[in-house]
Amino acid sequence: MSAQPPHSIGDAIRESLPAYEAPAALREWARAQAEGASRERAGAWHGRAMRRLAYAAGLVLAVTAGWVGQREYAASAGRASAQRMLVAALVDTHVRSLMVDHLVDVPSSDHHTVKPWFAGKVPFSPHVPELQDQGFTLVGGRVEFIAGHTAAALVYKRGLHTINLFIWPSSEQSAGPPITSYQAYSLAHWTDRDLSYWAVSDAAAPELETFERAYAAASR
Amino acid sequence: MSADTRFERVVLPHLNAAYTLARYLTRDASEAEDATQEAILRAVRYFGTLRSEADARAWLLAIVRRECHGRRQPQVATVSYDEVPELQLVDPNAHTDTEAGRAILQHRVREAVAALPDVLRETVILRELQQCTYEEIATITEVPLGTVMSRLSRARTRLAGMLGGLAPSGEEEYG
Repeated sequence: MSAQPPHSIGDAIRESLPAYEAPAALREWARAQAEGASRERAGAWHGRAMRRLAYAAGLVLAVTAGWVGQREYAASAGRASAQRMLVAALVDTHVRSLMVDHLVDVPSSDHHTVKPWFAGKVPFSPHVPELQDQGFTLVGGRVEFIAGHTAAALVYKRGLHTINLFIWPSSEQSAGPPITSYQAYSLAHWTDRDLSYWAVSDAAAPELETFERAYAAASR
Repeated sequence: MSADTRFERVVLPHLNAAYTLARYLTRDASEAEDATQEAILRAVRYFGTLRSEADARAWLLAIVRRECHGRRQPQVATVSYDEVPELQLVDPNAHTDTEAGRAILQHRVREAVAALPDVLRETVILRELQQCTYEEIATITEVPLGTVMSRLSRARTRLAGMLGGLAPSGEEEYG
């Protein structure tokens, strides 16, 4: 046997395994959570102090501050769970589109056919790029109603994988980092010019990222 | 109202550690992000239960770990370490003086750690990568100190077996 490294398992692990850095979006989101929560606590503390000095006045303040903080916290937590519900609805729609043989209402790989088809069916005009060169074949489109949104659904294929791209008008603030996987499905989310995009597929997450880049580049 | 950001000051410095632990427990970047996000929500809600700021890291890691375990398929947690197949060594004679040799060794170590059963992997990650004390590991993984010791010892022996040539343990002796 040739020369072996003179160090221990512990050294080998520390040298070989990366310590990861939390994604910037996650860090930003966590910071926002911290601020929301600390306002809530500050409110509660002021309430206690005030009660000792002037019970009646303090109580009013505490209740108000607590209520404001609580509402803010509930709102941010609510946004995160709202995103979960939306993602669940998106994945359900994706799965249903594959199950009931109702993948497209306008079957066409020609964007000159698919794009005009949406006119009058959705209140916006989605970009329908052909991404054949990037490895994504346009299959067609249909209209969906998802979580209160009338959405254009574009369907692309990547090998055996189907990608549903849901588009609707929205300038909503997103609740922290978008969820990128749900029940073994991959998701990608972005917004562009007041349109909200959600791509859902059983393709691997990196492929969806490639799809997102290809779509965004072609829509420019 | 002055918003002190005690949570930010006490807990968020450990966000990378939390995310790193989640990465090794879930073995998936987006799952890890999800788990960390859920853990932060939980940590914010139960921040009041943190008794001492010095314990913040172990406290957060415990929440992350519980969150990751909640995501697992039930059978994963019950796989016994004897059932995990042995690793095929890439090249048992790799020479680590060269860049390539080092890369091969690192690859083998990663694979070996990834192949460890969950309870051994989390213990070894907490100890070697996160540099937690045995007491912290016992708290985080919710087992007695003795179990931490024996898991560490088992993990190191297993890794040494898979990697060959490396000394199984560092400074400590286990009974």
